Formats: sequence, C-alpha cells, structure tokens
Amino acid sequence: MRRKSLLDRVAHLGQGAIETVTILGRSGLFLVHALLGRGGIGGGFQLLIKQLYSVGVLSLAIIVVSGIFIGMVLSLQGFSILAKYGSEQAVGQMVALTLLRELGPVVTALLFAGRAGSALTAEIGNMKSTEQLSSLEMIGVDPLKYIVAPRLWAGFISLPVLALIFNVVGIWGGSWVAIDWLGVYEGSFWANMQNSVSFTDDVANGVIKSIVFAFVVTWIAVFQGYDCEPTSEGISRATTKTVVYSSLAVLGLDFILTALMFGDF
Amino acid sequence: MSADNAYAIELKGVSFKRGTRSIFNNVDIQIPRGKVTGIMGPSGSGKTTLLRLMGAQLRPSNGEVWVNGQNLPKLSRSDLFDARKQMGVLFQSGALFTDLDVFENVAFPLRVHTELPEEMIRDIVLLKLQAVGLRGAIELMPDELSGGMKRRVALARAIALDPQVLMYDEPFVGQDPIAMGVLVRLIRLLNDALGITSVVVSHDLAETASIADFLYVVGDGQVLGQGTPQDLMNSDNPRLRQFMTGDPDGPVPFHYPAPDFREDLLGKR
Repeated sequence: MRRKSLLDRVAHLGQGAIETVTILGRSGLFLVHALLGRGGIGGGFQLLIKQLYSVGVLSLAIIVVSGIFIGMVLSLQGFSILAKYGSEQAVGQMVALTLLRELGPVVTALLFAGRAGSALTAEIGNMKSTEQLSSLEMIGVDPLKYIVAPRLWAGFISLPVLALIFNVVGIWGGSWVAIDWLGVYEGSFWANMQNSVSFTDDVANGVIKSIVFAFVVTWIAVFQGYDCEPTSEGISRATTKTVVYSSLAVLGLDFILTALMFGDF
Repeated sequence: MSADNAYAIELKGVSFKRGTRSIFNNVDIQIPRGKVTGIMGPSGSGKTTLLRLMGAQLRPSNGEVWVNGQNLPKLSRSDLFDARKQMGVLFQSGALFTDLDVFENVAFPLRVHTELPEEMIRDIVLLKLQAVGLRGAIELMPDELSGGMKRRVALARAIALDPQVLMYDEPFVGQDPIAMGVLVRLIRLLNDALGITSVVVSHDLAETASIADFLYVVGDGQVLGQGTPQDLMNSDNPRLRQFMTGDPDGPVPFHYPAPDFREDLLGKR
C-alpha cells in the first residue's frame, strides 16, 4: 500500500473538518426549519399525541424495569459500604442523591437513545428509502413539519418525564431492598432522604440535565434518519450512529453539566 | 413570467451536477399543456433526476424551471410547498404511507390541504378509487396490495387534489402485462378526462410511445432528440436510432471500456 504523504494527510484532515462543519450546519438548519419554520400542519396536536405514545409510552416498560433494578442495586451496594462505617441509615439519602443527580437523567437518556432514538432513525430512514418523504413533499406537505417536528417535540417532552419516573421507581426499588430486605429503619431511610435532598440543587438540576439530554438525543436520532443514505446499509449505519453519538454526547454533556452545577468553582 | 402559456413546464438552460459529475448540461425542455409527454433514455441517463428537477426536489446548478408560470428554484420553501399542490407525482415504488390504509392514503392530501366535511372527503376518495378500479380495496393496508395495485392507489392519491400536472416516475417497471396495460390505459384516460398535463419518465419504449403525444430522449447530459414517436423512429441520429430500435451495439457500445482482450487473456508479450 502506498504511504500517504504529509500533504495528503493534511488534506484528508481538512476534508474531514469541512465535512463535519457541513453536517453540523445542515443539522442546525434542519432543526431551525423543523421547529421554527413557517407553515404548520393541521392536526399537529394529534400527530404529537401519536408520537408521545410511540416515543414515550412505549419506552415506559424498559425505563420502569431498569429503574427498579438500578435502585435495588444502589441500595444493596450502598448498604454494604455504609454498614462498614455504621451509617447504613443514610442509604436512603445515597440512593436518592445518586438517582436524582446522575443515574436518573443519564441512564434514562442512554436507554432512550437505544430504544426510542434508534427506532426514530430507522423509521424516518425507511420513509426516505421508500420515497414516502419525497411523496409528502410532492403532495405539498413539508416533511420537516409533518414527520420531524412532532417526533422532536415528543422526544423533548418524553425524556424528562421518563427520567422522573425512573427516579421514582428507582427510589421505590431502593427502599424495598433497604427497608424490607436489609432491615434499615423506615423512618430514618425517608427522613435522611428528605433532609438531604434539595429541590433546587438536586431535583431541578436533574430535570435540567434530562431536558438537555432529551434535546440532544432526539435531535441526533431524527437528523440521522432524515440525512441517511436511503439504502438498507445506510439506514443500519445511521441507526448505529444514533446510538453511538447520542451515548457519547450524553456522557460528555453530563460531565460539563455536573461541573457547572456541582463543581464549586 | 414563463414565456409561453402553451407549456405547463419549461426547463431553460438547466444544468445539474452531483459533486463534480455533470448530469445535465444546459438542457431546454418544454412540456406542452394538456398532452402526454414521454421522457425517455437509457438507464442512468438522469430521467428521474429530471423529474425531481421539475418538482424542485432538486435545485439546478444553473437555469430556470418554470411550472405553471412560477420559476420553482426561486420560490421560498413555503411558496414551493404551495406550488406543489398543483402537481402530482407517481413514484416508482408508489410511496404509499405504510401506516395508513388505502382510504386514508387517498384522503391524505384532502385532509391536509382542505377543510372539507368528512362525507365529502369520503365521496371524493371513492370517486378517485373508482377511477383506478380499486374502490373495493378501500380498507386494505399497503402491505396487502400487489405492486400494480400500490401504483394505482398512489395514482388515485396523486389526483386527489385535481392537479394540473401529473408526473410518473418509471410507472411500468416490474409490472406484469395486465398491470402494465391497466397503467398505460389509465395514464391516457386520466390525462384526457381531467384535462391535465402528464409527464411520463420511462425507458419502456413501446408502452411510452403508445400513449405519448410527444417524446424527449435524454442521454449524455443532453436532449438527444425530441418529437412525436414517429419522428423519433425515423431519426437519422445514430445514437437516437440505437435507442429507439434497441440495438445492443452502436454509438453506445456493448462492451464497457476495457484493455485489449487478447492482451488481457495472454498477458503482454
């Protein structure tokens, strides 16, 4: 194989940078047109309800089951560590803070990217490959308004709600393990939690995180579907990209948001 | 304004590139109003691209695309969507909405663009489906239809809003002889009955020539020839004659460019 010259490598790097900036610009315009562009569609609310069902309600099972197990595991791990210091009564506080600040928004966003995000990409990609998007355009209906916008809003609304549900069932799973199984005193479990959890610092910050994740994950998922190559291989590549890019974006943004919210600098 | 009202669609000096590859170079095409015009050419000659340029789903790198007196590439996004209400397209795959049944597919343009009462929408849908012979399939889902039926339902949907221009993208591909005969008849019948302008993009010579009033043959990024089917059959242009008669060899060679066969087999000596 011919070795690449330094100039070739620089050109390759430049080409990659240009392509990345182009995609970012295109995805930005795509978002602006879908959310703010003129020409709404009649029956938009019904479309939103339909998407809230397929994006949100159908993700409920995986969120609830995962939430319960993660709460239970947190409780078990927390109890075994805290018991060494005689502080096992603080397990409620530990479970609640971990879920509200970190695991609730992050794990929900990761699960959402895997379940709903990949489905959104595949669905829109399939519509593109079967010319349904072209067909809408030629009927005089903007697919950005009819297909993309309801899915974006459904994602923006669903994920924060799912994250809250995840937190609630996680705390319930944790309490079940701690109180009913490990014998932590119920009063101190709940009282410690109530004393240490701040609505603005913990609950609200967690909700802000999940809103940011909802925006990024849904944007990536819908754009990847709309921008994919309309072949079976292209759709499969776009679906993979959705899960990988969303997961990396969630984890990266989580660090930035945590630093801003709890960094003390 | 468009120069002449006799033409429903006019492409003036249109060039189109994909990346650095030129697909069309300074092409002029005029589609007469109220007629069936066939656009033909070998596979890969850019016929579907031409259709997408006419629907402004692609923007030309140069030139003007006038449809019903509007230069489509110059329109804003929302004006363009308004202009498309006057156009219907039958896509190669039919492109039916897979989550809607036959009735809802045909009713879709009426629901989004009109505020007609439900009874009237039902009547119009029944009329359109009757025109394509599928009134009995009203409750079927797209995956329960054959390829030919899908195209007929898509045709009913394309005429739901009574467009002025109807474009067909390879309507005969993959159809059995009966379905093909039905489509050929429908295209001509709808054109004459509704008084619309039809553009049929196809490489099926016999079928297209049998219904077209006027033909364009495109290839090598240009218009190779234009005229009535009979004019083109009698053309002296060798490239055109090869296409019209279906000769396997000619200006378009049978062999893809390759090194010398003898050298390839025996190696250089």
